[in-house]
Amino acid sequence: MLLEVKNLVKEFGGLVANSDISLEVEEGRIVGLIGPNGAGKTTLFNCIAGYYRPTRGKIFFGGEEITGWPPHHVAKIGIARTFQGMKTLPNLTVEENVMIGAFCRTHERERARRDAHEVMELLAIREEANALPKELPIALQKRIELARALATKPRLLMLDEIAAGLNPLETKEILQTLKRIKEERGLTLFLTEHVMEFIMTLSEMVMVMAAGRKIAEGPPEEVAREPKVIEAYLGERYAQG
Amino acid sequence: MRQLLIDLFSFEDRPRFEKLGFLIFIIIVLVFPWIVKSAYGRAVMIKFLLFALFGLGWNLIGGYGGQVDLGQAKNVGFGAYATGLMMLWWGTPFWVTVPVGMVIAAAESFGVAYPMFRLKGHYFAIATLCVALVWKELFVFWDWTGGARGVEIPIRPTPNFTYMQFGSPIHYHYFIFFLFITQLLFMNWFRKSKLGYECQAVRENEDVAASLGINVYRTKVIAYTITGGLGAVGGSFMTVYYLYIDPDFVMPLDLSILIAMTVMVGGAGSIWGPIIGAALLIPLDMYLGAWLGAQKRLGIDFMIYALIMMVIAAREPKGIWGIIERVRKKRME
Repeated sequence: MLLEVKNLVKEFGGLVANSDISLEVEEGRIVGLIGPNGAGKTTLFNCIAGYYRPTRGKIFFGGEEITGWPPHHVAKIGIARTFQGMKTLPNLTVEENVMIGAFCRTHERERARRDAHEVMELLAIREEANALPKELPIALQKRIELARALATKPRLLMLDEIAAGLNPLETKEILQTLKRIKEERGLTLFLTEHVMEFIMTLSEMVMVMAAGRKIAEGPPEEVAREPKVIEAYLGERYAQG
Repeated sequence: MRQLLIDLFSFEDRPRFEKLGFLIFIIIVLVFPWIVKSAYGRAVMIKFLLFALFGLGWNLIGGYGGQVDLGQAKNVGFGAYATGLMMLWWGTPFWVTVPVGMVIAAAESFGVAYPMFRLKGHYFAIATLCVALVWKELFVFWDWTGGARGVEIPIRPTPNFTYMQFGSPIHYHYFIFFLFITQLLFMNWFRKSKLGYECQAVRENEDVAASLGINVYRTKVIAYTITGGLGAVGGSFMTVYYLYIDPDFVMPLDLSILIAMTVMVGGAGSIWGPIIGAALLIPLDMYLGAWLGAQKRLGIDFMIYALIMMVIAAREPKGIWGIIERVRKKRME
């Protein structure tokens, strides 16, 4: 198992954002995490990536326990992430954005630049190398974030709502891009998403969260039929009917 | 080694008009003392170079690192006193006292950085200001530093390079220019280094920086430590140039603010920003001084600075360099 979460609990004061979550992500898979707003998806991501310290429970990556590790250690061990909403480094060029990701694995500037250009090529943003991210359309900014995360040479890539704010065409494009980089780089993808169609077509395995709990898990088509999942998304009446 | 030399001296990545501008600037500074004969003009030039030097160092933490440090005067003080006291006590040559001052300032910065970087933004700025003021008061209070009376440097009968004492301002002009250039080359290396990129990532977004494997806290501490060391160099120069130092002269609050302001006005986070800022503010400062008299200037200079600061903060956070870059971009389109 590449990523393993065991009985993870995260409380904020009295609020239980993640309650007893256990999950496994197999190497080379694409695993989706869905759930209505406030289900605790981002909290879970933040716990894994080291931004929150779990209240209880354990997290393993490649067999090593990483519970409570700071984010930069988590990045070094091979987990990259993107953020909900746009988080580029706005006053640095696209090339610099991606290079900073590449510096995760090297001290040499020219090496970092080469690595960055390789990733930019892969994501078709090389022509924008000298532009500032804030001047570019959202779809490109998403690619920059993706490129920056990929430049850290991760084994596991965690994407937090990468398709949010994109139109259907752009969503389709990023979907194809993700499939391609997964194949080319032998990555494991773990992603959350609101757009159901997106995650259902992309994922090989889907987990469903609601109100801080994991309520279902399985192949997308099975999960979509599960009454508990329909209930969480649409309310009790639809599930019965 | 070869790469290091290239990184120090190469401005290849900068656009042509910048390289040209820099070349013209160097030529102007080099011929300046041969054209301007007035003592006052030469003094303004030396002070400009001194503050450009201060600005370059401060730009590391304040511009590239994005951490507003309002206490750089303490590091100037450490440099000035290291040189002053060592010369007074043991007759140590200037060039030995410089690295000692830098190490002291860097060590102190490293020590206080650890608790201080628990704070962020304005709170960090206030903490730096307080630390600098505490040091100033200590230097007034202590006897071994000469207290409020300060330190007078024994004057050598003949001009000499060991103690960097000269009869004419021309020597000091090239001397400070040399220090300025060394620090400019260092910053030229820094801005292209991994640490330079890491500092900028931290400035732009700490969460993103951490997600890319950057230890945010450590990066800030290192940047603050280096800035401390760089600030001391100008302090050492002040000692041998003015031949007299006291806490009110080398480590006051005004100095910290002026250093930060030159960089912000010129353009924080760009290699030329501190030079532009100093070129504007230092003549202004000297002019105001002459115009309003030394009588504390009635605080009018502070009012003018505050006004400039507000305009910069509200209108152009990237300073004059930001305006230049924008105009150039528009032209290219």
